[in-house]
Amino acid sequence: MAAPRGWRLAGQGCCRLLHTERSAAPPPPLYPPVVASHTAKSKSAKRRRLEYFYQQVHEAPSIAEKLRLYGRLQRLKYVVYPQTFSLNADRWYQSFTKTVFVPGLPPAGAQPAGPGAPDLSELRSLACDALLQEHFYQRKRERPFLYREQQHVPGPFLTQLVSSLSAALGSSNPLLATSCLDLKPQVNFYWERGETVVCRGYRTGRIDPVRFQIDDEPLIQIRVPKQLPEFVPLDYSVPGEVPVINHKPDKLPLFKRQYDNKIFIGSKVADPCSYGHTQFHLIPDKLKRERLLKANLADQIEVTYRANGIASLFAWTAAQAMYQGFWCEADVTRPFVSQAVISDGKYFAFFCYQLNTLALTVKADQNNPRKNICWGTENFEEYGTRNHFFLPSLRILCAPLL
Amino acid sequence: MAGLWWPARPAAGALRAWAPRGPHRGKTAKVPRRPLPRTPWTTRGPPPGAPLPRSWQDKRPVQEQIPGLEQVTYAGKQYFVPWLARPRLPRWERGWHDPRHSPGPRYEAMPLYKERVCYVCHQRTKMLEGVRQALWLTKTKLMEGLPPKVLSIIDEPANQLENEDERVQNAISHARVWITTELIPKRESYCPVLLEDLLHLCRTMASKYPSLSKRMLARDYKVAAAWERESSILQVRGMNGILLNAINPLLPVASKDEILATENHILETFHPISPTIDLQEVNVYEERHDTGFREGYPYPHPHTLYFVESANVRPVRFRPEQLRAKMLMFAFGNALAKAKVLYGDDPKVLEHPVVVQSIGTEGRIFQFMVFQLNTTDLASSDGVKNLVWIDSDQYMYDYIRYLPGIRKKVVKFPPGIYGYRPDTFKKFLALYLHGAVQDSTQTQIL
Repeated sequence: MAAPRGWRLAGQGCCRLLHTERSAAPPPPLYPPVVASHTAKSKSAKRRRLEYFYQQVHEAPSIAEKLRLYGRLQRLKYVVYPQTFSLNADRWYQSFTKTVFVPGLPPAGAQPAGPGAPDLSELRSLACDALLQEHFYQRKRERPFLYREQQHVPGPFLTQLVSSLSAALGSSNPLLATSCLDLKPQVNFYWERGETVVCRGYRTGRIDPVRFQIDDEPLIQIRVPKQLPEFVPLDYSVPGEVPVINHKPDKLPLFKRQYDNKIFIGSKVADPCSYGHTQFHLIPDKLKRERLLKANLADQIEVTYRANGIASLFAWTAAQAMYQGFWCEADVTRPFVSQAVISDGKYFAFFCYQLNTLALTVKADQNNPRKNICWGTENFEEYGTRNHFFLPSLRILCAPLL
Repeated sequence: MAGLWWPARPAAGALRAWAPRGPHRGKTAKVPRRPLPRTPWTTRGPPPGAPLPRSWQDKRPVQEQIPGLEQVTYAGKQYFVPWLARPRLPRWERGWHDPRHSPGPRYEAMPLYKERVCYVCHQRTKMLEGVRQALWLTKTKLMEGLPPKVLSIIDEPANQLENEDERVQNAISHARVWITTELIPKRESYCPVLLEDLLHLCRTMASKYPSLSKRMLARDYKVAAAWERESSILQVRGMNGILLNAINPLLPVASKDEILATENHILETFHPISPTIDLQEVNVYEERHDTGFREGYPYPHPHTLYFVESANVRPVRFRPEQLRAKMLMFAFGNALAKAKVLYGDDPKVLEHPVVVQSIGTEGRIFQFMVFQLNTTDLASSDGVKNLVWIDSDQYMYDYIRYLPGIRKKVVKFPPGIYGYRPDTFKKFLALYLHGAVQDSTQTQIL
């Protein structure tokens, strides 16, 4: 009885069955779903492979496994150096990381008042002692080796300053009492932003995301077990624009290499101190103020500080976000905040960074109004011939540590 | 195809299959000679009348055996030929003094040259007899274990951190496991990180004891101290470790009676080995005392010296005995330099002994030491001696497991720290707090 059976099947498929209750689940499909090919050289196959990859990363059982899958494929990528001699590198780095630079410091929260407030004169004397010890009291070689002047005096001074200040402020800030201090840690981050056409090799003509990697080594880093509070809400609309640069990153100059895609905040995922507090960077000898002035690049002095702040802080905050399970397809649900102090021993600049979005790939960035924000000051002299030795900037220096 | 045209195995006795020919012939590393087989001749020597075996005969060069015979070299030809010997040409003289290419003055021509040799102990000196040798050189009496004053700081419950065990184990895991993206970090990276983390934990006690903030760490500083010991001049020089300086000096740990009782102690010698073995002999030296810091330094008193033994390769690394000896020598050097600055150069028994502590580690095993300098009169081996308390080979943990041990698909041994001992960090913290804490058993010592 083929006809009634066929009518019944057609009725079930196209006609709405009124006056019937959906008591049983719909019957399982007779044929597998019709999807694009997995291995064909077509855009739909590429889309399907990408979907499969995203699904694998979403379903990874642990954060370490997620990071491993995220950076499993090795391809040529641009190596971004936070401390760079490139001209106007800060605008390029802002475009790579979708960051808006806001001069000045973020709107400060309520300062802790009362018995827990730190005694600035005591901190000032600690800072003066550290300075005098490294510059004068400790007997060192008269002339350091070539290009090692920064490691000779400013490096030890900063190390000593940070360790004694963080110990002294531990009483007023319980977060610092449980913090972890790293000396010369590795901070790495790998991300993709934008698209380009592969110009040579066997993959010529294919559209590839532009990949970046930052391998940074701050002088000192403070990591804490609890996240710092946000400066501004997650969807805050910043007055400022992310610079758009219509050139390939090679023009910066930026060079490509292929190696492990590392994502690291300074210690592995198992460490309880997985949030960042403050980084301290030392400007290297080749980018010192005197050298830039001698090369008629006085306006690039600020640029080096800004580029260093933006790149290092973006790498650190984004790596912290990835340690919490967020990535470009699973954007952050709370902002990640960190601070940095960049100096060459005499001039200090302070930076605060708020990571609002990790979705920097072309697909994830299509309807993404959020931008990362970096606040930064100009660099100014910490100590010198002025009478108010240290005091105003010490207040700012201690503010990140509070 | 039938066989290889070059010999598959190198010749017997050859270290490698290929050896350089031509002017550099024979310059590869030779195979070390195996020990001689045990025969009556090799154990007792050849009998008096018998001729010596070929290898034992006195081989003099041919030029000495046949006078007047000279080697024929290619010097006259002015070019190399493989069958003539290499000539010994005279050294080329520049004719004028170029400061960038001159070998420098000879030792005898240097202004600080002295006939009498001086023995210098520096940071790479590995002493043969270890602590015994250092005790003789510094005229010190050894006491096992830490002094009771320090032990009482450990027993005080207020001198402990909150969640101490958890925080110390986090510090150990951070240094040993979490610090690198690779699986296992090298000792050069984890050893200094462990010390820095432990110091950071100790510094957080500054909230309880405000006098702890009046201390400053100094890295890469150089100490210089010189003394005479039974007709040998000895010196301690150079960079040693990380020094913790304090505003106030450490009070003496031993009572006056104990100090006077050391007069009867006899220093241990180890004849026939000279006590100055393994020290560097120099003829060009200057006897000076230098704490490493100028006058007016706000933290003038040395408190604790931290030594980190982090060489990756085991032969280069200091063994625990040698590390203890180095700690003792440099603690003594710092104490002596400070005593000379405070009380002058004359050798005498000190009214207020100088105390310097020392902690050395190679990442797992800690050595604790408290040194008290009672006298600067070190020329003779009689009289009041200095005192040192050593607590050696304190393990902080037994071992670290990096990968889980899986037996029959079940995780039997999870990764982590095994055999953690909390006492070691308590001693570390006690030595840090010493001098800033009023312990319960503090009695009038002087």
